[in-house]
Amino acid sequence: MAEDQVTLKIEGVDVTVPRGTTVLEAAKRAGILIPHYCYHPGLPVSGVCRMCLVTVEGAPGLQIACATDATDGQVVSVFDSAASDARQAVLEFLLINHPLDCPICDQAGECELQDYVFQEGRARTRYSDYPKRFSPVEDFGGDVLYVPNRCILCTRCIRFMDHVAEESVLNVSERGDRAFIGIHPDAVLDHPWAGNVIDLCPVGSLISKDFLHKAYAWQLDRTPGICTGCSQGCNITIETRDNSIARLRPRTNEDVNRYFMCDHGRFEYRWMNSGDRIEAPLVAGANGLVATDWSQAIARCAEIVKGVSGKAVALVSPRASCESLYLVHQLLKDFELLSACPVEVVEGEQPLPGVPNLALRSERAPNVEGAARLGHGAEYDKALEAVKDAALVFVLDDGYSQFGDDALSGSENLIYLGTSLPDAARNSSVVFPMSNAAEEDGTYVNRDGRVQRYMQAKTAPGMARPAWWITGALLSEIRGTDAPATAGEVFDRMAASESAFAGLSYETLGTQGAFANKASGAGVGCDS
Amino acid sequence: MFEGAVRKQLDEVLKKYPTKQAALLPALWMVQQNKGWIPDEAMSETAEVLDVTSAYVKGVVTFYTMYHQHPVGENFVQVCTTSPCNLCGAEDVVSALLEATGCAALGETSPDGKFTVIEVECLGACGFATPILVNDDFIEDVTPKKVPEIVGKYRDGKA
Repeated sequence: MAEDQVTLKIEGVDVTVPRGTTVLEAAKRAGILIPHYCYHPGLPVSGVCRMCLVTVEGAPGLQIACATDATDGQVVSVFDSAASDARQAVLEFLLINHPLDCPICDQAGECELQDYVFQEGRARTRYSDYPKRFSPVEDFGGDVLYVPNRCILCTRCIRFMDHVAEESVLNVSERGDRAFIGIHPDAVLDHPWAGNVIDLCPVGSLISKDFLHKAYAWQLDRTPGICTGCSQGCNITIETRDNSIARLRPRTNEDVNRYFMCDHGRFEYRWMNSGDRIEAPLVAGANGLVATDWSQAIARCAEIVKGVSGKAVALVSPRASCESLYLVHQLLKDFELLSACPVEVVEGEQPLPGVPNLALRSERAPNVEGAARLGHGAEYDKALEAVKDAALVFVLDDGYSQFGDDALSGSENLIYLGTSLPDAARNSSVVFPMSNAAEEDGTYVNRDGRVQRYMQAKTAPGMARPAWWITGALLSEIRGTDAPATAGEVFDRMAASESAFAGLSYETLGTQGAFANKASGAGVGCDS
Repeated sequence: MFEGAVRKQLDEVLKKYPTKQAALLPALWMVQQNKGWIPDEAMSETAEVLDVTSAYVKGVVTFYTMYHQHPVGENFVQVCTTSPCNLCGAEDVVSALLEATGCAALGETSPDGKFTVIEVECLGACGFATPILVNDDFIEDVTPKKVPEIVGKYRDGKA
């Protein structure tokens, strides 16, 4: 047994953990969830809620698992009658003033109070003769509403603002049964990362104005994704209802964003729900663009690409997946190619002080690094200039670029892969309806070179297809190679030909990602 | 707020503590002694001189009932109504105090601005029921009969 490891028994299960691990965390590793409210792995321990009481053999009384270190030979029981009774009493206290408004509460279905009361609370109240305390809802500012009646005073929100956001504006005001979360009258909860208090709140006390009454937790489908708000690449969960994104929430990744995401990122779902979509492939006819089917559009496009040579310009979105960016390069490799993506840069990062290397970054796009490693430069203005002299102009844009009306005019052969059809693209030879980042599988490379997968959260409208599928089909038509069937297959091809991705696969990336190789050697990755 | 003599007083207090934050309770007393109550602006000023946040000061002020978050009368009367005093007729003392001071109800200030009466828990003088605290003066064995005289003294400022 190593010096720095301890072995203890929790509910009869032996578990070995590093010295200094709390009983609560050790229990998690043994597959046992000790009920808790105030404890959160991303916050300092405060031990105020008394919900994680457990029996530790030899200890004088019940211990709080969140603030008790695991020691060698310790024997812990969680569900014995002493500990269970104590936790039941804690729950009974919490429910004295907690309203029974679960049917209209946004937290219902993902509420820890609901869960633990269901699991080990009393079947009936003994306080039905007493009126409950009532306080009105308060607007804390930003996206946060405070419903004091539902508050169990776990102080997670206060500790987040004090120790993680490091902007102390919240407190416990008053005391005893009058206590509530207070905000100084001059202060507003508008810190760029303040929205995290909503996720941290174990009950429906801090709720999102944006998500208010949009959906019940059990109506939502959840898909792992990557935030498209900046180059940090925060891991997120995309929550959809009826094929429409209802909200984005942080997904735990200790190496990237821990348990948090910024408020800017939280609203990055709106563009994904946009209704102004192209739903069918279009080809240029005598009277402008005409809707057609995939095979005809692919054939027409292949004909155009094969028929020209010389200079080509590719304008790609920094929100496009590595897979599609790789295939764009493959498709146009015989041309004298100038490829670039526009990157919105907002001066001044917005860091979350309590987490190292976490900030809302200046570069407001998720795949700037991936685009660069796959040979799509940053000289966007130069590429735009070159449009008029190019034999072929290939655009892959999901609404990020905001083309001016004349930006693409003068290009004879314009191939446009897009989610919507801006006026600038009306003179296209072929238009392909493309899925957006929420409607496809793919990978992004964040600013630190971490390759991270995102998965399809909703279906694309009409006939729209992922950009990798469209470019893959074009490649197949032009070169006679097999068209890739999945994004994972494209990734494998990319890993085989691009040294930056060598050795990686969807399987090795998993849900937490992996670093791309530092030295991106030969291949399309070096065009300069 | 913390200027001149008050600042000096605060500096003296600060010498007694290892951290500035530790002087919060006495600093708030100074505010209350000078202003009669603790307005929000004064909380922010206190936060600034003690290097803590306004939110923290607000939390402390609201925690303790001894700090007034609203203006009170010139004389602040606290009556013990906990069990022993209650048995000895503290409720009648309360009624007499309300009548003599002209306060409409507990916690409200009399129209002349001279008095605010509140109930408190045990004042630690169960053997001398009913005790009352008028400002910093401790008065024991108060009965409804004695109330008008006590109130009169404080109204005239002769106490």
